[in-house]
Amino acid sequence: MQGIRVEGLKKCFGARTAVEGLSFEVAPGEVFGLLGPNGAGKTTTVRMLTGLLAPTAGRASLCGVELPLRSDDDGVTLRRRVGLLTEQPGLYDRLSIRENLEFFMRLNEVDEVQAWKLAHALLERFDLAGREDEPVGGFSKGMRQKLAIVRALVHSPEVVFLDEPTSGLDPQSGRVVRDAIAELAREGRTMVLCSHNLHEVERLCARVAVIKNTLRSVASLTELRREGLALDVMVEGEAAAWVKALERLPFTVGHQLDGSRLRVLLDREAQSPDVIACLVQAGARVHSAHRAARPLEEAYLDLVREAGDAS
Amino acid sequence: MSFRLSRALAVYRKDLLDLRKNRALLWSMLALPLVIVVTPLGIVWAYVRNPTDPGLKAIALYYDLTVDLTNVARFLIDKVLADWFVIYLVMPVFVPILISSHAVAGEKEKRTLEPLLASPVTPLELVVGKSLASLVPSVLICTLAFVLLCVGVDVVAWPVAKSLVLPNGMWLFGVFVIAPLFAFFGNGVAVLISARVGDSRLAQQLAGLMVLPLVGLAAGQFGGWLKAGPSYYAVIGGVVLLLDLAIIVAARRLFDRERLMTRWG
Repeated sequence: MQGIRVEGLKKCFGARTAVEGLSFEVAPGEVFGLLGPNGAGKTTTVRMLTGLLAPTAGRASLCGVELPLRSDDDGVTLRRRVGLLTEQPGLYDRLSIRENLEFFMRLNEVDEVQAWKLAHALLERFDLAGREDEPVGGFSKGMRQKLAIVRALVHSPEVVFLDEPTSGLDPQSGRVVRDAIAELAREGRTMVLCSHNLHEVERLCARVAVIKNTLRSVASLTELRREGLALDVMVEGEAAAWVKALERLPFTVGHQLDGSRLRVLLDREAQSPDVIACLVQAGARVHSAHRAARPLEEAYLDLVREAGDAS
Repeated sequence: MSFRLSRALAVYRKDLLDLRKNRALLWSMLALPLVIVVTPLGIVWAYVRNPTDPGLKAIALYYDLTVDLTNVARFLIDKVLADWFVIYLVMPVFVPILISSHAVAGEKEKRTLEPLLASPVTPLELVVGKSLASLVPSVLICTLAFVLLCVGVDVVAWPVAKSLVLPNGMWLFGVFVIAPLFAFFGNGVAVLISARVGDSRLAQQLAGLMVLPLVGLAAGQFGGWLKAGPSYYAVIGGVVLLLDLAIIVAARRLFDRERLMTRWG
Protein backbone atom coordinates (compact mmCIF):
# COMPACT_ATOMS: atom_id res chain seq x y z
CA MET A 1 0.00 0.00 0.00
CA GLN A 2 1.13 3.56 -0.68
CA GLY A 3 0.24 6.64 1.29
CA ILE A 4 -0.28 10.27 0.39
CA ARG A 5 2.25 12.83 -0.83
CA VAL A 6 1.15 16.44 -1.31
CA GLU A 7 3.36 19.16 -2.81
CA GLY A 8 2.37 22.83 -2.98
CA LEU A 9 -1.32 22.15 -3.51
CA LYS A 10 -3.44 25.22 -4.20
CA LYS A 11 -7.08 25.77 -5.06
CA CYS A 12 -8.69 29.01 -6.23
CA PHE A 13 -12.34 29.64 -6.97
CA GLY A 14 -12.25 32.58 -9.33
CA ALA A 15 -10.21 35.31 -7.66
CA ARG A 16 -10.59 33.75 -4.19
CA THR A 17 -7.86 31.45 -2.94
CA ALA A 18 -9.46 28.73 -0.81
CA VAL A 19 -6.22 27.05 0.18
CA GLU A 20 -2.57 27.20 -0.89
CA GLY A 21 0.89 26.03 0.00
CA LEU A 22 -0.13 22.57 1.18
CA SER A 23 2.71 20.10 1.43
CA PHE A 24 2.72 16.99 3.59
CA GLU A 25 3.10 13.24 3.50
CA VAL A 26 1.05 10.53 5.15
CA ALA A 27 2.46 7.03 5.48
CA PRO A 28 0.40 3.85 5.01
CA GLY A 29 -1.06 2.76 8.33
CA GLU A 30 -0.93 6.29 9.73
CA VAL A 31 -3.90 8.20 11.14
CA PHE A 32 -3.25 11.78 10.10
CA GLY A 33 -5.26 14.73 11.39
CA LEU A 34 -6.33 17.68 9.26
CA LEU A 35 -7.12 20.51 11.66
CA GLY A 36 -8.43 23.97 11.00
CA PRO A 37 -11.34 26.28 11.78
CA ASN A 38 -14.47 26.51 9.64
CA GLY A 39 -13.64 27.83 6.17
CA ALA A 40 -9.94 27.00 6.57
CA GLY A 41 -9.93 24.85 3.43
CA LYS A 42 -10.09 21.36 4.95
CA THR A 43 -13.03 20.25 2.84
CA THR A 44 -11.49 21.79 -0.29
CA THR A 45 -8.27 19.90 0.48
CA VAL A 46 -10.13 16.60 0.88
CA ARG A 47 -12.11 17.26 -2.30
CA MET A 48 -8.88 17.85 -4.21
CA LEU A 49 -7.33 14.70 -2.80
CA THR A 50 -10.37 12.61 -3.68
CA GLY A 51 -10.37 13.94 -7.24
CA LEU A 52 -13.59 15.92 -6.85
CA LEU A 53 -11.87 19.25 -7.48
CA ALA A 54 -8.89 19.85 -9.74
CA PRO A 55 -6.02 21.67 -8.00
CA THR A 56 -5.17 25.11 -9.39
CA ALA A 57 -1.48 24.45 -8.71
CA GLY A 58 0.71 21.84 -7.09
CA ARG A 59 0.50 18.10 -7.24
CA ALA A 60 -0.20 15.09 -5.11
CA SER A 61 0.00 11.34 -5.21
CA LEU A 62 -2.50 9.03 -3.52
CA CYS A 63 -2.02 5.28 -3.51
CA GLY A 64 0.03 5.62 -6.68
CA VAL A 65 -2.38 7.87 -8.59
CA GLU A 66 -1.06 11.30 -9.52
CA LEU A 67 -3.03 14.52 -9.08
CA PRO A 68 -3.97 16.49 -11.15
CA LEU A 69 -5.71 13.53 -12.81
CA ARG A 70 -4.54 12.86 -16.33
CA SER A 71 -7.60 10.94 -17.50
CA ASP A 72 -11.05 9.73 -16.47
CA ASP A 73 -9.57 6.27 -15.98
CA ASP A 74 -7.11 7.70 -13.44
CA GLY A 75 -10.08 9.24 -11.65
CA VAL A 76 -11.90 5.91 -11.55
CA THR A 77 -8.77 4.17 -10.24
CA LEU A 78 -8.29 6.84 -7.57
CA ARG A 79 -11.88 6.71 -6.37
CA ARG A 80 -11.79 2.91 -6.21
CA ARG A 81 -8.84 3.17 -3.81
CA VAL A 82 -10.25 6.01 -1.71
CA GLY A 83 -13.12 6.03 0.79
CA LEU A 84 -14.78 9.26 1.85
CA LEU A 85 -16.98 10.00 4.83
CA THR A 86 -18.50 13.40 4.12
CA GLU A 87 -19.53 15.88 6.80
CA GLN A 88 -23.20 15.00 6.21
CA PRO A 89 -23.94 11.25 5.99
CA GLY A 90 -25.66 11.73 2.59
CA LEU A 91 -27.77 8.58 2.57
CA TYR A 92 -30.82 7.77 0.47
CA ASP A 93 -33.61 8.02 3.04
CA ARG A 94 -36.21 5.94 1.22
CA LEU A 95 -33.75 3.11 0.63
CA SER A 96 -32.79 0.50 3.20
CA ILE A 97 -29.29 -0.16 4.57
CA ARG A 98 -28.99 -3.04 2.11
CA GLU A 99 -30.06 -0.93 -0.87
CA ASN A 100 -27.80 1.98 0.10
CA LEU A 101 -24.76 -0.28 0.45
CA GLU A 102 -25.55 -2.38 -2.64
CA PHE A 103 -25.68 0.79 -4.73
CA PHE A 104 -22.16 1.79 -3.71
CA MET A 105 -20.85 -1.76 -4.09
CA ARG A 106 -22.13 -1.72 -7.69
CA LEU A 107 -20.59 1.70 -8.40
CA ASN A 108 -17.28 0.39 -7.08
CA GLU A 109 -17.72 -2.87 -9.04
CA VAL A 110 -16.49 -4.95 -6.12
CA ASP A 111 -17.10 -8.64 -5.48
CA GLU A 112 -20.42 -8.29 -3.65
CA VAL A 113 -19.97 -11.51 -1.65
CA GLN A 114 -16.66 -10.26 -0.20
CA ALA A 115 -18.01 -6.74 0.24
CA TRP A 116 -21.05 -8.03 2.14
CA LYS A 117 -18.80 -10.06 4.44
CA LEU A 118 -17.00 -6.85 5.35
CA ALA A 119 -20.24 -4.87 5.52
CA HIS A 120 -21.90 -7.41 7.83
CA ALA A 121 -18.88 -7.37 10.14
CA LEU A 122 -18.97 -3.56 10.27
CA LEU A 123 -22.75 -3.45 10.73
CA GLU A 124 -22.41 -5.94 13.57
CA ARG A 125 -19.67 -3.87 15.15
CA PHE A 126 -21.69 -0.65 14.80
CA ASP A 127 -24.83 -2.26 16.21
CA LEU A 128 -26.75 -1.98 12.93
CA ALA A 129 -27.03 -5.70 12.19
CA GLY A 130 -30.58 -7.01 11.81
CA ARG A 131 -31.85 -3.68 10.47
CA GLU A 132 -30.57 -4.14 6.91
CA ASP A 133 -34.03 -3.93 5.35
CA GLU A 134 -35.29 -0.83 7.17
CA PRO A 135 -35.43 2.50 5.32
CA VAL A 136 -32.64 4.67 6.70
CA GLY A 137 -34.89 7.77 6.81
CA GLY A 138 -36.12 6.64 10.21
CA PHE A 139 -32.64 6.20 11.69
CA SER A 140 -31.14 8.44 14.36
CA LYS A 141 -28.27 10.81 13.52
CA GLY A 142 -25.77 8.44 15.11
CA MET A 143 -27.05 5.40 13.20
CA ARG A 144 -26.87 7.33 9.95
CA GLN A 145 -23.33 8.41 10.71
CA LYS A 146 -22.28 4.82 11.43
CA LEU A 147 -23.91 3.60 8.22
CA ALA A 148 -22.11 6.33 6.26
CA ILE A 149 -18.83 5.05 7.72
CA VAL A 150 -19.70 1.50 6.61
CA ARG A 151 -20.49 2.84 3.14
CA ALA A 152 -17.10 4.59 2.98
CA LEU A 153 -15.38 1.27 3.76
CA VAL A 154 -17.32 -1.41 1.86
CA HIS A 155 -14.99 -1.33 -1.12
CA SER A 156 -11.90 -1.80 1.12
CA PRO A 157 -10.20 1.49 0.22
CA GLU A 158 -6.48 2.00 0.77
CA VAL A 159 -6.95 5.62 1.82
CA VAL A 160 -9.90 6.76 3.91
CA PHE A 161 -10.89 10.39 4.49
CA LEU A 162 -13.16 10.86 7.49
CA ASP A 163 -14.80 14.23 8.08
CA GLU A 164 -15.86 14.46 11.74
CA PRO A 165 -16.42 10.70 12.05
CA THR A 166 -17.83 10.74 15.58
CA SER A 167 -20.08 13.74 15.07
CA GLY A 168 -23.51 12.97 16.51
CA LEU A 169 -22.43 9.72 18.13
CA ASP A 170 -22.97 8.86 21.78
CA PRO A 171 -19.77 8.20 23.78
CA GLN A 172 -20.05 4.42 23.44
CA SER A 173 -20.55 4.56 19.67
CA GLY A 174 -17.80 7.15 19.41
CA ARG A 175 -15.43 4.73 21.08
CA VAL A 176 -16.48 1.89 18.75
CA VAL A 177 -15.78 4.13 15.75
CA ARG A 178 -12.41 5.25 17.12
CA ASP A 179 -11.44 1.61 17.74
CA ALA A 180 -12.46 0.76 14.18
CA ILE A 181 -10.35 3.63 12.80
CA ALA A 182 -7.33 2.48 14.78
CA GLU A 183 -7.86 -1.10 13.57
CA LEU A 184 -8.13 0.00 9.94
CA ALA A 185 -4.84 1.87 10.32
CA ARG A 186 -3.22 -1.23 11.79
CA GLU A 187 -4.31 -3.10 8.64
CA GLY A 188 -2.11 -0.65 6.72
CA ARG A 189 -4.76 1.75 5.47
CA THR A 190 -3.96 5.45 5.34
CA MET A 191 -6.49 7.37 7.40
CA VAL A 192 -7.03 11.13 7.20
CA LEU A 193 -9.22 12.60 9.89
CA CYS A 194 -10.74 16.08 9.47
CA SER A 195 -11.94 17.35 12.78
CA HIS A 196 -12.54 20.26 15.10
CA ASN A 197 -12.63 17.78 17.96
CA LEU A 198 -9.12 18.06 19.35
CA HIS A 199 -9.66 15.35 21.96
CA GLU A 200 -10.52 12.92 19.20
CA VAL A 201 -7.46 13.98 17.23
CA GLU A 202 -5.30 13.49 20.33
CA ARG A 203 -6.66 9.99 20.82
CA LEU A 204 -6.25 8.86 17.21
CA CYS A 205 -3.61 10.82 15.35
CA ALA A 206 0.14 10.67 15.66
CA ARG A 207 0.65 13.67 13.34
CA VAL A 208 -1.50 16.58 12.23
CA ALA A 209 -1.54 19.36 9.67
CA VAL A 210 -3.00 22.65 10.86
CA ILE A 211 -4.40 24.69 8.00
CA LYS A 212 -6.07 28.03 7.76
CA ASN A 213 -6.11 28.73 4.04
CA THR A 214 -2.38 28.00 4.13
CA LEU A 215 -0.47 25.27 5.86
CA ARG A 216 0.40 26.49 9.37
CA SER A 217 2.16 23.42 10.65
CA VAL A 218 2.74 19.74 10.03
CA ALA A 219 3.99 18.06 13.13
CA SER A 220 3.55 15.24 15.57
CA LEU A 221 1.31 16.10 18.47
CA THR A 222 4.31 16.16 20.80
CA GLU A 223 6.11 18.62 18.51
CA LEU A 224 3.00 20.73 18.19
CA ARG A 225 2.62 21.02 21.95
CA ARG A 226 6.26 22.14 22.16
CA GLU A 227 5.71 24.96 19.66
CA GLY A 228 5.55 27.85 22.15
CA LEU A 229 6.55 27.45 25.76
CA ALA A 230 4.77 27.49 29.06
CA LEU A 231 6.23 27.72 32.54
CA ASP A 232 4.17 26.43 35.48
CA VAL A 233 5.08 28.33 38.68
CA MET A 234 3.62 27.22 42.02
CA VAL A 235 3.54 30.11 44.49
CA GLU A 236 2.41 30.45 48.06
CA GLY A 237 -1.16 31.74 48.26
CA GLU A 238 -3.24 32.90 45.34
CA ALA A 239 -1.24 33.22 42.14
CA ALA A 240 -3.47 36.10 40.99
CA ALA A 241 -1.64 38.38 43.44
CA TRP A 242 1.55 38.17 41.34
CA VAL A 243 0.16 38.77 37.87
CA LYS A 244 0.85 42.49 38.10
CA ALA A 245 4.51 41.75 38.75
CA LEU A 246 4.79 40.17 35.31
CA GLU A 247 4.18 43.62 33.77
CA ARG A 248 7.65 44.63 34.99
CA LEU A 249 9.26 42.16 32.63
CA PRO A 250 11.03 43.72 29.61
CA PHE A 251 9.02 41.36 27.33
CA THR A 252 5.32 40.55 27.13
CA VAL A 253 4.00 37.20 28.35
CA GLY A 254 0.60 35.62 28.54
CA HIS A 255 -0.65 33.91 31.65
CA GLN A 256 -3.27 31.54 33.04
CA LEU A 257 -4.33 31.17 36.68
CA ASP A 258 -5.42 28.12 38.62
CA GLY A 259 -5.37 28.67 42.39
CA SER A 260 -1.76 28.92 43.47
CA ARG A 261 -0.52 27.83 40.03
CA LEU A 262 0.55 30.55 37.58
CA ARG A 263 1.10 29.37 34.00
CA VAL A 264 3.28 31.86 32.12
CA LEU A 265 3.29 31.60 28.30
CA LEU A 266 6.70 32.43 26.87
CA ASP A 267 8.27 33.06 23.51
CA ARG A 268 11.69 31.62 24.35
CA GLU A 269 13.11 29.12 26.81
CA ALA A 270 15.65 31.81 27.91
CA GLN A 271 12.83 33.92 29.38
CA SER A 272 12.19 31.40 32.19
CA PRO A 273 14.88 32.64 34.66
CA ASP A 274 13.74 36.26 34.17
CA VAL A 275 10.15 35.32 35.00
CA ILE A 276 11.15 33.46 38.18
CA ALA A 277 13.47 36.29 39.26
CA CYS A 278 10.76 38.86 38.62
CA LEU A 279 8.26 36.98 40.78
CA VAL A 280 10.79 36.49 43.59
CA GLN A 281 11.78 40.19 43.51
CA ALA A 282 8.10 41.11 43.77
CA GLY A 283 7.95 39.05 47.00
CA ALA A 284 6.41 35.81 45.76
CA ARG A 285 7.44 32.63 47.55
CA VAL A 286 8.06 30.24 44.67
CA HIS A 287 7.62 26.57 45.60
CA SER A 288 8.40 25.10 42.21
CA ALA A 289 8.76 26.01 38.55
CA HIS A 290 8.77 23.62 35.58
CA ARG A 291 8.13 23.50 31.84
CA ALA A 292 4.48 22.68 31.15
CA ALA A 293 3.24 20.56 28.28
CA ARG A 294 0.77 22.74 26.46
CA PRO A 295 -2.66 21.33 25.73
CA LEU A 296 -3.16 20.65 22.02
CA GLU A 297 -5.99 23.15 22.03
CA GLU A 298 -3.67 25.96 23.05
CA ALA A 299 -1.04 25.11 20.44
CA TYR A 300 -3.77 24.80 17.80
CA LEU A 301 -5.37 28.13 18.73
CA ASP A 302 -1.99 29.85 18.64
CA LEU A 303 -1.33 28.55 15.15
CA VAL A 304 -4.76 29.54 13.91
CA ARG A 305 -4.45 32.97 15.57
CA GLU A 306 -1.05 33.52 13.95
CA ALA A 307 -2.65 32.77 10.60
CA GLY A 308 -5.38 35.28 11.32
CA ASP A 309 -2.83 37.93 12.35
CA ALA A 310 -0.78 37.33 9.23
CA SER A 311 -3.80 37.78 6.99
CA MET B 1 -14.59 9.91 -21.78
CA SER B 2 -14.69 6.73 -19.69
CA PHE B 3 -18.06 4.93 -19.70
CA ARG B 4 -19.17 1.71 -17.99
CA LEU B 5 -22.74 0.66 -18.63
CA SER B 6 -22.83 -1.30 -15.34
CA ARG B 7 -22.27 1.88 -13.32
CA ALA B 8 -24.84 3.85 -15.35
CA LEU B 9 -27.32 0.98 -14.77
CA ALA B 10 -26.54 1.02 -11.04
CA VAL B 11 -27.55 4.72 -10.97
CA TYR B 12 -30.64 3.91 -13.06
CA ARG B 13 -31.72 1.07 -10.74
CA LYS B 14 -31.17 3.15 -7.62
CA ASP B 15 -33.17 6.10 -8.98
CA LEU B 16 -35.97 3.80 -10.13
CA LEU B 17 -36.08 2.17 -6.70
CA ASP B 18 -36.17 5.57 -5.05
CA LEU B 19 -38.92 6.71 -7.43
CA ARG B 20 -40.97 3.59 -6.66
CA LYS B 21 -40.85 4.45 -2.96
CA ASN B 22 -41.74 8.14 -3.50
CA ARG B 23 -45.53 7.97 -3.49
CA ALA B 24 -46.09 11.73 -3.63
CA LEU B 25 -44.06 11.97 -6.82
CA LEU B 26 -45.78 8.90 -8.30
CA TRP B 27 -49.22 10.41 -7.74
CA SER B 28 -48.18 13.75 -9.22
CA MET B 29 -46.79 11.88 -12.25
CA LEU B 30 -50.09 10.02 -12.78
CA ALA B 31 -52.35 13.09 -12.48
CA LEU B 32 -51.31 14.61 -15.81
CA PRO B 33 -51.82 11.43 -17.93
CA LEU B 34 -55.24 11.01 -16.36
CA VAL B 35 -56.31 14.49 -17.46
CA ILE B 36 -54.79 14.01 -20.91
CA VAL B 37 -56.71 10.75 -21.45
CA VAL B 38 -60.04 11.70 -19.88
CA THR B 39 -60.46 15.18 -21.43
CA PRO B 40 -60.57 14.13 -25.13
CA LEU B 41 -62.87 11.25 -24.19
CA GLY B 42 -65.29 13.81 -22.77
CA ILE B 43 -65.10 15.93 -25.94
CA VAL B 44 -65.58 12.89 -28.22
CA TRP B 45 -68.50 11.78 -26.07
CA ALA B 46 -70.08 15.25 -26.48
CA TYR B 47 -69.86 14.89 -30.28
CA VAL B 48 -71.19 11.32 -30.27
CA ARG B 49 -74.08 12.06 -27.89
CA ASN B 50 -75.86 14.26 -30.44
CA PRO B 51 -74.10 13.91 -33.81
CA THR B 52 -76.76 15.83 -35.74
CA ASP B 53 -76.68 18.87 -33.51
CA PRO B 54 -76.69 21.92 -35.82
CA GLY B 55 -74.13 23.53 -33.52
CA LEU B 56 -71.61 20.86 -34.56
CA LYS B 57 -72.06 21.82 -38.21
CA ALA B 58 -71.30 25.43 -37.33
CA ILE B 59 -68.15 24.37 -35.50
CA ALA B 60 -67.06 22.10 -38.38
CA LEU B 61 -67.64 24.85 -40.93
CA TYR B 62 -65.56 27.23 -38.81
CA TYR B 63 -62.60 24.91 -39.22
CA ASP B 64 -63.24 23.77 -42.81
CA LEU B 65 -65.77 25.24 -45.24
CA THR B 66 -65.41 22.19 -47.52
CA VAL B 67 -66.36 19.71 -44.81
CA ASP B 68 -68.75 16.81 -45.65
CA LEU B 69 -71.85 17.90 -43.73
CA THR B 70 -73.35 14.38 -43.64
CA ASN B 71 -70.96 13.27 -40.85
CA VAL B 72 -69.61 16.33 -39.06
CA ALA B 73 -69.31 14.42 -35.77
CA ARG B 74 -66.68 12.13 -37.30
CA PHE B 75 -64.91 15.14 -38.81
CA LEU B 76 -64.82 16.85 -35.43
CA ILE B 77 -63.64 13.67 -33.66
CA ASP B 78 -60.74 13.36 -36.12
CA LYS B 79 -60.05 17.10 -35.78
CA VAL B 80 -59.99 17.10 -31.98
CA LEU B 81 -57.73 14.02 -31.89
CA ALA B 82 -55.29 15.56 -34.39
CA ASP B 83 -55.23 18.76 -32.34
CA TRP B 84 -55.04 16.89 -29.04
CA PHE B 85 -51.73 15.32 -29.88
CA VAL B 86 -49.97 18.60 -29.12
CA ILE B 87 -51.51 18.51 -25.63
CA TYR B 88 -50.47 14.86 -25.33
CA LEU B 89 -46.89 16.03 -25.99
CA VAL B 90 -47.04 18.04 -22.75
CA MET B 91 -46.87 14.67 -20.97
CA PRO B 92 -43.53 13.41 -22.37
CA VAL B 93 -42.03 16.83 -21.60
CA PHE B 94 -43.49 17.30 -18.16
CA VAL B 95 -43.15 13.82 -16.63
CA PRO B 96 -39.34 13.66 -17.19
CA ILE B 97 -39.09 17.19 -15.80
CA LEU B 98 -40.82 16.01 -12.61
CA ILE B 99 -38.55 12.99 -12.27
CA SER B 100 -35.25 14.57 -13.37
CA SER B 101 -35.56 17.72 -11.26
CA HIS B 102 -36.17 15.50 -8.27
CA ALA B 103 -33.48 12.94 -9.11
CA VAL B 104 -30.80 15.46 -10.02
CA ALA B 105 -31.32 18.42 -7.68
CA GLY B 106 -32.60 15.97 -5.03
CA GLU B 107 -29.07 14.58 -4.79
CA LYS B 108 -27.88 18.02 -3.83
CA GLU B 109 -30.70 18.70 -1.38
CA LYS B 110 -30.22 15.36 0.39
CA ARG B 111 -26.43 15.89 0.46
CA THR B 112 -25.93 12.60 -1.36
CA LEU B 113 -24.07 14.10 -4.28
CA GLU B 114 -20.62 14.30 -2.72
CA PRO B 115 -20.44 10.62 -1.68
CA LEU B 116 -21.81 9.76 -5.12
CA LEU B 117 -19.21 11.84 -6.98
CA ALA B 118 -16.50 10.43 -4.73
CA SER B 119 -17.35 6.96 -6.08
CA PRO B 120 -15.95 5.72 -9.41
CA VAL B 121 -19.07 6.79 -11.33
CA THR B 122 -18.21 9.27 -14.10
CA PRO B 123 -20.35 12.33 -14.84
CA LEU B 124 -21.41 10.76 -18.15
CA GLU B 125 -22.50 7.54 -16.42
CA LEU B 126 -24.34 9.60 -13.83
CA VAL B 127 -26.22 11.63 -16.42
CA VAL B 128 -27.01 8.55 -18.55
CA GLY B 129 -28.23 6.58 -15.51
CA LYS B 130 -30.38 9.45 -14.27
CA SER B 131 -31.73 10.17 -17.75
CA LEU B 132 -32.70 6.52 -18.21
CA ALA B 133 -34.45 6.56 -14.83
CA SER B 134 -36.43 9.54 -16.05
CA LEU B 135 -37.02 8.51 -19.67
CA VAL B 136 -38.02 4.86 -19.19
CA PRO B 137 -40.93 5.59 -16.80
CA SER B 138 -41.95 8.60 -18.89
CA VAL B 139 -42.08 6.62 -22.12
CA LEU B 140 -43.95 3.80 -20.35
CA ILE B 141 -46.50 6.21 -18.88
CA CYS B 142 -46.98 7.93 -22.25
CA THR B 143 -47.43 4.58 -24.00
CA LEU B 144 -49.89 3.36 -21.39
CA ALA B 145 -51.81 6.64 -21.63
CA PHE B 146 -51.90 6.24 -25.42
CA VAL B 147 -53.26 2.68 -25.14
CA LEU B 148 -55.96 3.85 -22.71
CA LEU B 149 -56.78 6.78 -25.00
CA CYS B 150 -57.10 4.45 -28.02
CA VAL B 151 -59.39 2.04 -26.18
CA GLY B 152 -61.45 4.84 -24.66
CA VAL B 153 -61.86 6.79 -27.92
CA ASP B 154 -62.72 3.68 -29.92
CA VAL B 155 -65.36 2.63 -27.41
CA VAL B 156 -66.89 6.10 -27.08
CA ALA B 157 -66.69 6.98 -30.81
CA TRP B 158 -67.94 3.59 -32.10
CA PRO B 159 -71.61 4.63 -32.61
CA VAL B 160 -70.49 7.39 -34.98
CA ALA B 161 -67.27 6.01 -36.46
CA LYS B 162 -68.25 2.32 -36.84
CA SER B 163 -64.51 1.63 -37.13
CA LEU B 164 -61.36 2.14 -35.10
CA VAL B 165 -60.46 5.83 -34.87
CA LEU B 166 -57.22 5.24 -33.00
CA PRO B 167 -54.47 4.26 -33.41
CA ASN B 168 -53.85 6.02 -36.69
CA GLY B 169 -50.59 6.62 -38.50
CA MET B 170 -50.12 10.13 -37.17
CA TRP B 171 -50.58 9.11 -33.54
CA LEU B 172 -48.37 6.04 -33.90
CA PHE B 173 -45.60 8.15 -35.43
CA GLY B 174 -46.17 10.78 -32.78
CA VAL B 175 -46.21 8.45 -29.79
CA PHE B 176 -43.26 6.29 -30.80
CA VAL B 177 -41.03 8.85 -32.58
CA ILE B 178 -41.94 12.41 -31.60
CA ALA B 179 -42.92 11.79 -27.95
CA PRO B 180 -39.55 10.16 -27.05
CA LEU B 181 -37.80 13.15 -28.66
CA PHE B 182 -39.87 15.45 -26.45
CA ALA B 183 -39.15 13.26 -23.41
CA PHE B 184 -35.43 13.52 -24.15
CA PHE B 185 -35.84 17.27 -24.48
CA GLY B 186 -37.76 17.60 -21.17
CA ASN B 187 -35.24 15.45 -19.34
CA GLY B 188 -32.27 17.29 -20.86
CA VAL B 189 -33.66 20.71 -20.02
CA ALA B 190 -34.43 19.63 -16.44
CA VAL B 191 -30.94 18.18 -15.97
CA LEU B 192 -29.21 21.23 -17.47
CA ILE B 193 -31.29 23.66 -15.43
CA SER B 194 -30.67 21.61 -12.29
CA ALA B 195 -26.96 21.95 -12.98
CA ARG B 196 -27.23 25.72 -13.25
CA VAL B 197 -29.60 26.49 -10.37
CA GLY B 198 -29.28 25.04 -6.92
CA ASP B 199 -32.86 24.26 -6.01
CA SER B 200 -35.07 21.41 -7.26
CA ARG B 201 -38.29 23.42 -7.09
CA LEU B 202 -36.79 26.30 -9.05
CA ALA B 203 -35.39 23.80 -11.56
CA GLN B 204 -38.83 22.22 -11.89
CA GLN B 205 -40.51 25.59 -12.37
CA LEU B 206 -38.00 26.81 -14.94
CA ALA B 207 -38.03 23.53 -16.84
CA GLY B 208 -41.83 23.51 -16.62
CA LEU B 209 -41.85 26.68 -18.74
CA MET B 210 -40.81 24.45 -21.65
CA VAL B 211 -44.42 23.29 -22.01
CA LEU B 212 -45.58 26.83 -22.79
CA PRO B 213 -44.73 26.67 -26.53
CA LEU B 214 -46.91 23.54 -26.74
CA VAL B 215 -49.77 25.38 -25.05
CA GLY B 216 -49.28 28.19 -27.57
CA LEU B 217 -49.41 25.74 -30.47
CA ALA B 218 -52.57 24.18 -29.02
CA ALA B 219 -54.16 27.60 -28.77
CA GLY B 220 -53.27 28.25 -32.43
CA GLN B 221 -54.76 24.93 -33.47
CA PHE B 222 -58.00 25.26 -31.52
CA GLY B 223 -58.30 28.85 -32.75
CA GLY B 224 -58.10 27.55 -36.31
CA TRP B 225 -54.90 29.40 -37.22
CA LEU B 226 -52.73 26.30 -37.31
CA LYS B 227 -53.74 23.08 -39.03
CA ALA B 228 -52.49 19.97 -37.21
CA GLY B 229 -51.57 16.94 -39.25
CA PRO B 230 -48.72 14.50 -39.96
CA SER B 231 -46.48 17.03 -41.71
CA TYR B 232 -47.14 19.67 -39.05
CA TYR B 233 -46.07 17.27 -36.30
CA ALA B 234 -43.12 16.05 -38.37
CA VAL B 235 -41.85 19.66 -38.50
CA ILE B 236 -42.28 20.01 -34.73
CA GLY B 237 -40.45 16.70 -34.26
CA GLY B 238 -37.60 17.93 -36.47
CA VAL B 239 -37.24 21.11 -34.42
CA VAL B 240 -37.16 19.12 -31.17
CA LEU B 241 -34.57 16.75 -32.66
CA LEU B 242 -32.31 19.75 -33.30
CA LEU B 243 -32.91 20.97 -29.75
CA ASP B 244 -32.02 17.49 -28.43
CA LEU B 245 -28.73 17.61 -30.31
CA ALA B 246 -28.02 21.05 -28.83
CA ILE B 247 -28.73 19.63 -25.35
CA ILE B 248 -26.23 16.80 -25.90
CA VAL B 249 -23.56 19.32 -26.95
CA ALA B 250 -24.31 21.53 -23.92
CA ALA B 251 -24.32 18.53 -21.55
CA ARG B 252 -20.92 17.34 -22.77
CA ARG B 253 -19.49 20.77 -22.02
CA LEU B 254 -21.28 21.22 -18.71
CA PHE B 255 -20.89 17.89 -17.00
CA ASP B 256 -17.50 17.60 -15.48
CA ARG B 257 -17.09 16.47 -11.87
CA GLU B 258 -15.88 19.82 -10.57
CA ARG B 259 -18.75 21.72 -12.13
CA LEU B 260 -21.20 19.21 -10.67
CA MET B 261 -19.49 19.50 -7.29
CA THR B 262 -19.42 23.29 -7.17
CA ARG B 263 -22.83 23.80 -8.78
CA TRP B 264 -24.67 20.86 -7.26
CA GLY B 265 -22.63 20.07 -4.20
